[in-house]
Amino acid sequence: MADLLKFSIPGKPEYVGVVRLAVSSAANCAGFSMEAIEDIKVAVSEACTNVVLHGSREENCYEVECTIEKDKLIILVTDFCGGYDTEKYLVPCMDKPKEGGLGIFIIRALMDEVDILSELGEGTKIQMVKYLI
Amino acid sequence: MMSLQIVSSFDEENDRWRIELSGEIDISTAKIFRETLEKVYQDKQKDISLHFDQLTYIDSTGLGVIIGAYGKMKEKNNRIQILNPKQNIKKLLTITSLDQILL
Repeated sequence: MADLLKFSIPGKPEYVGVVRLAVSSAANCAGFSMEAIEDIKVAVSEACTNVVLHGSREENCYEVECTIEKDKLIILVTDFCGGYDTEKYLVPCMDKPKEGGLGIFIIRALMDEVDILSELGEGTKIQMVKYLI
Repeated sequence: MMSLQIVSSFDEENDRWRIELSGEIDISTAKIFRETLEKVYQDKQKDISLHFDQLTYIDSTGLGVIIGAYGKMKEKNNRIQILNPKQNIKKLLTITSLDQILL
């Protein structure tokens, strides 16, 4: 049986750190190594930061769900900020570093599986999976 | 909650800014970090050393601030450098290839 932890967070910068602590704690419960916990923490934090940066209104809440399974941790970050065209996302060019655009790149580098589903007019879901071992 | 502490001083001997950071740089503290970098560089256009010994976390917004400063300073032939990053931060710098310009 998988354990499901659900959080609802206001889209304000000061609460991203709260999510980091909560998710680190969940990853610790799931039995991940220190390094893996750090990866998960960074990835989830980046997903939340994206919501806060691109979300339309501060009072909008977003949701973070952690599903702890025997061999993996699945984290789903769902916002209701109207979505965006994922086709238009540009992979940052490291030869010409610039601000912004790094978040998704970092998430993909740190997690084993990443799926981004954005529905225009609705919102965006980022699902990240990290396997134990 | 964890926040960010910044101590800036000008190192006359090495002719550069010394900025010591402790705590976390994320979306809630990136603004004050950006303002500090802008303020010191406006005060004296010299190289900047960011001492990361006590910094436990930095995210893409914090890295973005450094990239922004790097770009502006490069035009004037100044350098911004990260010193003594913890292992987790080093990993982030490596995957983003920023280690090549900032370490």
